[in-house]
Amino acid sequence: MSRFLNIAFLLFALGLSTALSTTFAHADTFLPPKGAHILSVTGQITAKNAPTGLVLDLAQMEALPQHRFTTSTIWTEGQTTFQGVLLKDLIAAVGASGKMIEMTALNDYIIELPLSDAKDDGPLLAYLMDGKTMSLRDKGPIWMVFPYDQNPDYRTEETYSRSIWQLLQIDFVE
Amino acid sequence: MAVNRSLLDKVLRGLRPVIILLAVLSITAVVLNWLRLEAELQTYRQEAVDNIHWNVSQLELDLVRFGSEAEILQLKPDESLGELRKRFDLFYSRAQSILKGRMFAKMNLGDVVVPMNARLEYYLEQTTPLVDSPDVDLRAALPQIEADANIMREDLRAMSVKLVKNYAVMADMRRAVVATMVQRAAWAAWVVILALATLSLLVLWLNRQAVHTADQTLRLSSRLAATVETSLDAIIVTDAKGRVLDFNNAAAANFGYTPQEAVGADLATLIIPPTPCGSYFDLMARATLDGSAQEANSGRFQMIGMRKGGEEFPIELAIASHNTSEGVIFIAFLRDISDRVQAEDALVHARDEAMAAEKSKTNFMAVMSHEMRTPLNGVMAALEIASGMAVNDKQLRFLDLAQSSARQLLRHANDVLDISKVEAGKLYLSEEQFDMTALTEDLVAGLQQVAAQKGTEVVVKPLGPLPRLVGDYFRISQIIQNFLTNALKFTENGQITIEIEAQRRNDPLLEVEVRVIDTGIGIAESDQARIFEDFVMLDQSLVRTSGGTGLGLAIARRLAQAMGGEVGVESELGAGSCFWMRLPLAIASTPTPNEAPKLQSLQTVNPMDVLVVEDNATNRIVLEEMLQQLGHRVTMATEGRQGMELARAHPFDVILMDISMPMMDGLTATAMIRAQGLSMGSRILAVTAHSLPADLERFQKAGMDGCLTKPISLGNLAKSLLGDALDAPQPQAQAQVLSPDRIDDLREGLGAAGLARMITRFRADFPAFRARLLAACAPDRLSDLMPICHEGAGVCAMIGAPALQQLYAKGEELCRNGQEAKAAEIIMAQVQPLWDQTEAAILTLDLPS
Repeated sequence: MSRFLNIAFLLFALGLSTALSTTFAHADTFLPPKGAHILSVTGQITAKNAPTGLVLDLAQMEALPQHRFTTSTIWTEGQTTFQGVLLKDLIAAVGASGKMIEMTALNDYIIELPLSDAKDDGPLLAYLMDGKTMSLRDKGPIWMVFPYDQNPDYRTEETYSRSIWQLLQIDFVE
Repeated sequence: MAVNRSLLDKVLRGLRPVIILLAVLSITAVVLNWLRLEAELQTYRQEAVDNIHWNVSQLELDLVRFGSEAEILQLKPDESLGELRKRFDLFYSRAQSILKGRMFAKMNLGDVVVPMNARLEYYLEQTTPLVDSPDVDLRAALPQIEADANIMREDLRAMSVKLVKNYAVMADMRRAVVATMVQRAAWAAWVVILALATLSLLVLWLNRQAVHTADQTLRLSSRLAATVETSLDAIIVTDAKGRVLDFNNAAAANFGYTPQEAVGADLATLIIPPTPCGSYFDLMARATLDGSAQEANSGRFQMIGMRKGGEEFPIELAIASHNTSEGVIFIAFLRDISDRVQAEDALVHARDEAMAAEKSKTNFMAVMSHEMRTPLNGVMAALEIASGMAVNDKQLRFLDLAQSSARQLLRHANDVLDISKVEAGKLYLSEEQFDMTALTEDLVAGLQQVAAQKGTEVVVKPLGPLPRLVGDYFRISQIIQNFLTNALKFTENGQITIEIEAQRRNDPLLEVEVRVIDTGIGIAESDQARIFEDFVMLDQSLVRTSGGTGLGLAIARRLAQAMGGEVGVESELGAGSCFWMRLPLAIASTPTPNEAPKLQSLQTVNPMDVLVVEDNATNRIVLEEMLQQLGHRVTMATEGRQGMELARAHPFDVILMDISMPMMDGLTATAMIRAQGLSMGSRILAVTAHSLPADLERFQKAGMDGCLTKPISLGNLAKSLLGDALDAPQPQAQAQVLSPDRIDDLREGLGAAGLARMITRFRADFPAFRARLLAACAPDRLSDLMPICHEGAGVCAMIGAPALQQLYAKGEELCRNGQEAKAAEIIMAQVQPLWDQTEAAILTLDLPS
């Protein structure tokens, strides 16, 4: 009898959770990070794994949809291949709402951009440069880059100013 | 206004290339400038860099924080070195961006950037090993790190200030470049705006012109349409194929089609009756083919038009063509001229009737006067004979009166006949050689007695030498005689001078003027033009005393005109008159002959055997009596056959032959006499009232030697018998039997053999031809005669036999005039003798056999 109830409860819980997951717009479920925190996401998001919001380690970044492109930048020499998570994909993964995104770097640099600027081709929250993780000296661990060579629209001063490196925190605000 | 406009047009036309050039240049300038600007902007966009000021100051800030961390750590030896290392890493990272990145590339800041980079690299080379060394070493190096950071900071500050300054200068320069280009673009834009404004004005002006022109065109076309529509003539416009484009009201009224029905239809089938297949259409077609279309533009045509119901009516048509952008169009103006044609027809009919009446009157007069002369002849002859037999003075006086009355009557008959002849165009002028002075003197001599009775002196006064002339002696005499008798009539105890003068003309002819000047009563100026009209007598009382008809001067005028000359009068009432005659006359080719032999006196004539063939008893008696008076032996015959038989049986010296006789006429009898018998060579004279030259020719061809014209007087008769027949035809009028010139031509053209063949053929063909000819002379076959005569004349003309040719031609002419019987008569009489002569002449030709 109790087994039966247990099974029934489990089934209910499963159905509920399925219903919830559909209700809360694709937000993935994130466990607390095991490794060193490399990014913290705060503000209007549905997926949380910490009191402040969401903290991610490298493994969790690797678990999100991956994207890569090769381009030159005005800060580096030659062609560089960047790999990481598209801002757009992150937004979807964390179930972000609101209109603006505020990003803060380790060096206290802060930028703002609207959610709508997260496009299919960028920006990319890169954590690999030429296949290697980036140290602080290399603008790591996360550098938000754009495909500057592929799209001339990104070769503007505004985009350059948005290319924030040593990114620490992403805050979704109204 | 028009001048101004054309001037403006000229100026605009002259300016056009300039405007176009300016437009092209300014547009090119605008485009080039735009391209440059675009390129510059592109570079601007492409070269967008991270904020230099920010980066430089951030670098400085990072260094300051690193330095101050080092300073703090010296005071706190237990504090972790992590923050210091993080600060360095941040500085390092930003320094790398500046060193490795192209932040300053292409910015022409090399003189600042290169030493700065070198300094920065040196600093990193020095400091990085210290930061990366173990904690102990790093702590030990802290004072040096702080000192180095401070020095580096000073240098960085100095360099950044310089960099910012240079960057500002450079940015200013670049702004200036862009500003210049923008300014240029603005100027170009102004030019374009100005050009556009000018163009707009031009377009506006042109538009106003166009509106004005359209207005004018509309006004003109409506005026034209009104003109066309109110025209009384039908106006039809067609294209080159004859398709109706326009059909006005008058056309609709005339032809019965509405404009709607007519437009688009084929004009030729619409308004032209189908049978004569449309001369109008042909005309247009021709004009189209010519391309010149000039034919269509000239002249008027009359043709037959057709109304809608098929009714035909005459129209007058004028066609004009016009070249339009859609090809040639034809504008036809048509007018219904039924009324006019009717009126013209009526007029022509009336004229024809009047002319026919006039002609029949003239003919009647001619016949009457002609017919009167035969009985008159009898009367006068009888009177002459009777006066010879008169036994007392009383009888003689009455007979004289009767004779003078008869002469007057004859004169009247002759006058009327003359007029009729001239009017009917039957006046035949002979060409004789004569001496004008002698002629005048002869006339004067005949009138001397009358002149003497009136106490008037008549003088002939030739002005200058005068050659012998050629002309109709008799008719010229008639005119002068008329002038002279007139002058005598109206001049009492005065003087009449006849001046003769000749002047050379441009042609070989001489202009001969004869003036009869009297000192008589003269003629009022108002009457001077009138006196040359028919039946005009100024003094009616003279009709009885002088016995004129009032036709004299009218005849003189007609005769002079018939001879190519004129007559006229100059006169002053009471002072006298001058009648003049001016004639163009040829100069005689032969020299003046010897004085004509004097007429022998009647008494010295040898008695002759004379045969008179005459059917009229009166004439027979008269002739017999006259001949006996002249002392000749007379034999009488009452008709042609009897005369011929007598002539063949007895050699007569002279035969007087009447022409018109029943049974056998005079011509036939003459031909038969000439053919055989004892009188073959006798002198045969025609006795006739016919006195036309053509008749004389005919008599001559029948074999007669001369002609005695009725009425016959003793004098005439005596002269005729002596061989001086009054109206004897000129011997040179006799045509040649063969024309040597023609024969020579043929010989030259065909060769002697060819000529011989031709002549042989001609001779061989003759019997058959003669048979046909004589058959056609039968009374019931006369209608065939003319073509045969024509044929014969043609053959003879070709072969060169003028005598035969003339015979046939004469026959043809008579047939054409409806005198077939006469033609047959002549031909039957003459064809054989003339052939015989022709054949004889042919045999004398030197031809190969």
